[in-house]
Amino acid sequence: MALTVPFVAIVDDEEPVRKALKRLLRASGLEAETYESGQQFLEASAKRRPDCVLLDLHMPGLSGLQVLQALRASKTTLPTVVITAYDEPSSREQCLAAGAAAYLRKPLDERLLLNAISLHVNRLPREKAEK
Amino acid sequence: MLAGGPRWVAPALAVAAGYYLAARLGFVFTLQLQPVSTLWLPNALLLAVLVLARTRDWWWLLLAALPAHLFAELQSGVPSAMVLGWFVSNCSEALIGAALVRAFVAQPFRLDGFRNSGVLLFAAFGAPLASSFLDAALVRWIGWGETPYWELVGRRFFSNLLAQLTVVPLVVTWAALLAGGLPRLRAARCVEAALLGAGLLLVCLLVFGVPPPSAHFAPALFYAPLPFLLWAAVRFGPTGIASALPVMTVATIWGAVHGAGPFTAGTALENTLEMQLFLAAAAVPLILFAVALDERLRLERESRAQLTHLSRVATLGELSGGIAHELNQPLTAILSNAQAARHFLANKPGDSEMLREILDDIILADERAGHVIERLRAMFKRAETRHESLDMNALVREVTALAHGELTTRGVQVTLRLAERLPRVNGDRVQLQQVLLNLIMNGAQAMVACAPDERFLTITTLATGHKVHVNVTDRGHGFSVAPQKLFEAFYTTKQDGLGLGLSISHSIVTAHRGRLWAATRRGGGAAFLVTLPALAPA
Repeated sequence: MALTVPFVAIVDDEEPVRKALKRLLRASGLEAETYESGQQFLEASAKRRPDCVLLDLHMPGLSGLQVLQALRASKTTLPTVVITAYDEPSSREQCLAAGAAAYLRKPLDERLLLNAISLHVNRLPREKAEK
Repeated sequence: MLAGGPRWVAPALAVAAGYYLAARLGFVFTLQLQPVSTLWLPNALLLAVLVLARTRDWWWLLLAALPAHLFAELQSGVPSAMVLGWFVSNCSEALIGAALVRAFVAQPFRLDGFRNSGVLLFAAFGAPLASSFLDAALVRWIGWGETPYWELVGRRFFSNLLAQLTVVPLVVTWAALLAGGLPRLRAARCVEAALLGAGLLLVCLLVFGVPPPSAHFAPALFYAPLPFLLWAAVRFGPTGIASALPVMTVATIWGAVHGAGPFTAGTALENTLEMQLFLAAAAVPLILFAVALDERLRLERESRAQLTHLSRVATLGELSGGIAHELNQPLTAILSNAQAARHFLANKPGDSEMLREILDDIILADERAGHVIERLRAMFKRAETRHESLDMNALVREVTALAHGELTTRGVQVTLRLAERLPRVNGDRVQLQQVLLNLIMNGAQAMVACAPDERFLTITTLATGHKVHVNVTDRGHGFSVAPQKLFEAFYTTKQDGLGLGLSISHSIVTAHRGRLWAATRRGGGAAFLVTLPALAPA
């Protein structure tokens, strides 16, 4: 079994944030791809499934919560780390209830972010990660 | 010409010229066979100058009047000892009055509020009264003329009292107006002032400038200028009445000097005193009335400004979540970029191109956060109303940027349909931003119950004729009450709303000579239309 680099999808409507997170994840030894909307991500993930998703909560069009619900409706199990620049009291519970693996507030603590990703990427069965 | 000279030269020359002119006018306003002028203006002018000047400049301002005094008086054949004596009593009047004002009111003096106007009127009475005792004593001591001491005191007092009431408010109000830079008056306001001035002059000339048809009409004629004086006080405040009173005073005295008007029935002495009493009795209540009205309007303006600011601060509270979002986004970009750079430095220290890119992005994100703060500061600072030429399209973009975070967190999608070549409007930037922000926030809040993919807010600008329109429409629940009800203060449908937003927006737009309309949209939602007069036709 070849060693594969975990693939992380970054979904955020703001380009500077997408670019910075992609740089950070790549510099940390992960493969990262960015998507500017929930819709774009859902379409792309059907073709190439990531090992983990960094999903912004507040986006125009499909919100992060709606993306989580869409993933659940399609019975897709995908470790999802919800990230948000505006932390409302009920958001965390809603996201975790909708299947999010972690919920992090922006600006993102690097250690927490990489821990959250590695925790869930490592939990993946190896063969699934290689798909 | 005087730009290079010492700073006292121009004021000193102005005082000398003003004093000389005032003295010449005083001679013109002297009734035949009268030794004392009906309206002796130079002392009042000196008092007004001292009230406006710093105390340490008083001595040279008074000294500047001496040559003008000598030049004016020596032409009239008065002995030089008397001329100097009069200069002493004239200066003492100005000094007593100015010292009284300075004792109770700090600089700069403004004719606003009961305290200031009361002090000024007290000085206008006290200074001529006190100095007239000295003046009459000097006249009797030098032995000029035959008039008895107490008669001299009385004549001089009334002549100078009338001059104080006529000149000092005029100089003080205009000095305050000019000190703040000449206000840019609307054409309609200029026309109104011109009509008022012409009407007052015409009535005064008709009443005081032609021989009276009968002595019985005289009391009724006194009231003829009153509507114009009230018009000046109500519409133009203390400056208006201070400018209107001299017109009536000059017309009255000019008529009497030429044997016309109601003050011609008695002897010259009786006519003079009657006229002085009539004019002084009219001036005092009218000045107080104008000041009282002005103070009330000022207090109303201040409370309205406070309420407007309060409402803006309340909006800031509503925006706080969105602001957190707007600041956290660039902070995320900055932090993640910096952390990535640290990895690059550890792993690929030679990749300076990548580091440069990262630093550029950090700078951009930092600037974006700075703009968020800048917009907030501009919007929420407490400032005086300031009208300027504004582009409503730019204003819509600024406010949309300010509300971006809030709209994003609420899942509201904003569409801007901005007209090309929109005429500019004249208005207060912060206040009109407040109106737009309020309409945008209301629209966003009205769509809370809508499905997330149905929260559309559209802002349209367009121009028709001489008007600029901004339309804010949402797809929310609309409203079920009469549109006017929405603009009532303290009417709200929100649980935590103050009910001030739309009411204040309405009064802001009305103060800009515009209109704010509300309507329900076909197919659901509400539309709010701001209509403002355009600066140039579309």
